[in-house]
Amino acid sequence: MQNEVLFAILALISIVSSIVMISAHRPIDSALSFIVTLISIAALFALVNATFLFVVQIIIYAGAILSLILFIIMFLNIKDENLPDEKYKNRWLLGTSIIITPFSLILIDLILRSDIAVHALRDEKFGTIKDVGATLFSQWILPFELVSILLLVALIGAVTLSKKEA
Amino acid sequence: MLKGYMILSILLFSIGIVGLISRRNIIVMYMSIELLLNAVNLSLIAISGDLADSSAQVMSLIIIAIAASEAALFMSLFVVLFRNRASLDVNLFTILGGKE
Repeated sequence: MQNEVLFAILALISIVSSIVMISAHRPIDSALSFIVTLISIAALFALVNATFLFVVQIIIYAGAILSLILFIIMFLNIKDENLPDEKYKNRWLLGTSIIITPFSLILIDLILRSDIAVHALRDEKFGTIKDVGATLFSQWILPFELVSILLLVALIGAVTLSKKEA
Repeated sequence: MLKGYMILSILLFSIGIVGLISRRNIIVMYMSIELLLNAVNLSLIAISGDLADSSAQVMSLIIIAIAASEAALFMSLFVVLFRNRASLDVNLFTILGGKE
């Protein structure tokens, strides 16, 4: 019962702050409200006992990626004339939501009608760093190595892009 | 509880799609992409909690790593584009079209 109440509160916070994120005019406002979304999603992770992913979400998303975005926004020194003048922003948002709503309603209807919940029993070490690490290094070793190559490519790409042309 | 998580994930994904299509500010578009990845992560974690299987958690860990590398690329892209165009409007970014 307590979990359902917490879930409802966190779901409301994440939806409201993500709507604020896509509709704010200045990027700093949307970045700050996106932090709220990410932290509430991290709390939702903790609600299903995914403790390690909760920590990772806080450290990497809310800590590293969002502080990088905030750093870039402040570093670029964006003024109002640098922003696109989205005269019809609200109309665009309304029109796109009208187009997207039927698809999400179909998906929600499918979820509500299907019988997906299994309610398997979770033991104590579920979601801990030991459990996740054992799965990662036994069954998922190839994707893990591929991710290291991807990170290397992204590193080289970022350095090459930001190099000043001679 | 699982159905609630799935519905919340669908709603967040739809909000991200709406933001990605209707905004022209490239930083907001980038954060909408991150919101899409987070919605997928949320449903993966919910399924993993329901099945008591930690494979889905590893999957979402890999998705977080991909999002981090994407963040690094996007940040250097913002700096280069803002240096060339002095704007964040995606309609002005036509460098790939070949005509200056």
